[in-house]
Parts: sequence; C-alpha cells; structure tokens
Amino acid sequence: MKILLSIDDTDNLESRGTGEIASLIAAALQEQGWGSASFVTRHQLLVHPDIPYTSHNSAMCFVAEIEEGDLDQITAFAKDFLNHECAEGSDPGLCVAVLDRLASADDLIAFGQRAKLEVITMQEAFDLAGRLGVHLSAHGGTGQGVIGALAGAGLRLWGNDGRMKGCLEFSEPGSRLRVADLLDHPGVEAVRCVAGGVVRADDLVQVGEKPKTVLLDGVSVLLLSAVQGGGDGEAGCRANWQTLHRKQLRGY
Amino acid sequence: MWRNDQTGAKEFALGKESWAAAVCAALDCSGFAADVDEELVTDDERSCYNCRYRRWSASSFTCQASRS
Repeated sequence: MKILLSIDDTDNLESRGTGEIASLIAAALQEQGWGSASFVTRHQLLVHPDIPYTSHNSAMCFVAEIEEGDLDQITAFAKDFLNHECAEGSDPGLCVAVLDRLASADDLIAFGQRAKLEVITMQEAFDLAGRLGVHLSAHGGTGQGVIGALAGAGLRLWGNDGRMKGCLEFSEPGSRLRVADLLDHPGVEAVRCVAGGVVRADDLVQVGEKPKTVLLDGVSVLLLSAVQGGGDGEAGCRANWQTLHRKQLRGY
Repeated sequence: MWRNDQTGAKEFALGKESWAAAVCAALDCSGFAADVDEELVTDDERSCYNCRYRRWSASSFTCQASRS
C-alpha cells in the first residue's frame, strides 16, 4: 500500500535540515526492507509573524510503497527517529497517511492549500487528522510542526506544489541532452516548457547546475525555458532549451 | 540596506528580489553560512538570500546571524 510520510520543524539555525531528516527516514525504510520510497519534496508554507518557524517554514514529504504489515513499524521508527534526531529548540511534527484509508483526500489537500495562506492552529490539525484517519504526532518543543507535517502530506497528495529535495544527476553534468534522454532519468516523469511551449523528444536541452523537478499534475516535471537564439554550439547542435535556474524555481 | 523591523530585528530593506544587493551584503558579512541545498534560492552561492541565518518574512527577511 502507498503512504505519505511528512515532517516539519525538526531543525534549528545550526542543525541539519528537515529535508535531510526526511531522506534519512526514507533510506532507513528501504534498508529495513519495509518498502520503497520516492524522492523527497519540499513544500513552502505561509510565512507569517504568528508562525514560529526557524527560517523558511517548509515541510518535507515522500511517498512510499510498503507492505501493510510494516506500517506500524515504519511509524514507530519515524517517531523514534524524530525523538532522537531533531534539533534542540525545534517543534517537530510527523504525519503518516495511508492513501487508500484516507476518509477524504480532498479535505487533506484543502488543509495543505490553506496552510500556504492562513495561520492554522494545532488543534485544527489534530482534529482533521482524527477525522481523516491519519497518524499525526508531535515530538518535542511546542509540537507546532504537526501543522506543517499534515499540510505537507496534503500538498504532496495534491500534486501541484513543491520541488524535489536534492537535484537530478546526469552522466555528463553541464552537457546538452535530448529531451528523450532526460525522460530516461528515473526522477523525471515529464519535461515541459515553463511558458507552455511545445517540447519535442529530439530537442536539445542545456542542462544547468543542479537541475530540479517540480510537482505538477501529480508528476515529477523537469521545467525548461527557451534558449534565446538557439544557444552556443554549431548549427544542428544548439540547444533549444535550458533547465531553470534556482531563482525561477523559487515559486514552486 | 538594513533597517529594524517592528520587533527590533535587523531586516533587509530591499525585499526579496534585490539579487545583486543581497550578494553584496553577504560579501560584506563575516557571519554568512550557506543554508542546506533545498533552501537555496539563487545560483549566487554567497547571497544573503541563501544564508542559513536569514529568516524569511512576508516582504523580505531578517538577519539572525548576530543571534547564532
């Protein structure tokens, strides 16, 4: 069965990031033979004076395919991991949602969307988690991270929010690759032009430093922008497209 | 380039889109430390916008470096 595992508020100014904690849990899940985990996504939540985030208020989430009998072990492992690994002064929260047991996917998605726009209370998060049949737990501090953890699961389920943690690695960094080659990467499910232009399988793409995918329509999409004038290189080898810079990915 | 916000924290006065100024400010700062990769927002590695001691606000960010 498929689960969403989402965490928030595990760090302080000096500690490792919440994304790394999520990646470590995902790796452990696979090492223990409990299942397979997808890439981790980062989801930006509301930045507001009434919300006690450390520096950016983002949640981290991944999807995992697991055996039903391993769910309790995975949840217990993640709780224990957060109890021991989270930074001093942080307010960690954990959400584990089993997709085919969700009472309402729409309500979970709506909560995630609200958390990008409004200040939400912990009680609201716990109430919704109870109604939906989702695991939600606090692991130190004020426990405020439960709001972001639940929201992160909702936004990942929505499939139109967030960018991947880490970056895509290709055999030849900085090279020009065909769109078809990019689609061979296991982390790339679609390649699209950010402005809506038509991208063809044989088009050449200038791959920038640390390219990242974003979640759109439920799939991992590598966004491209057009290269003005066809880019460098001899005719026939010029790139039509380039991957986006970090500034362009900021809104995802 | 800097001002105090309502809580007295040191706030970047030029908002979230002053990329060159954020680079200049970071070059002048002995407290700069790059944030984790997933929180970097510009390819200019040394930029206040990429610093782990910046705390984003609705319109800009405050600098936490002196509190670290």
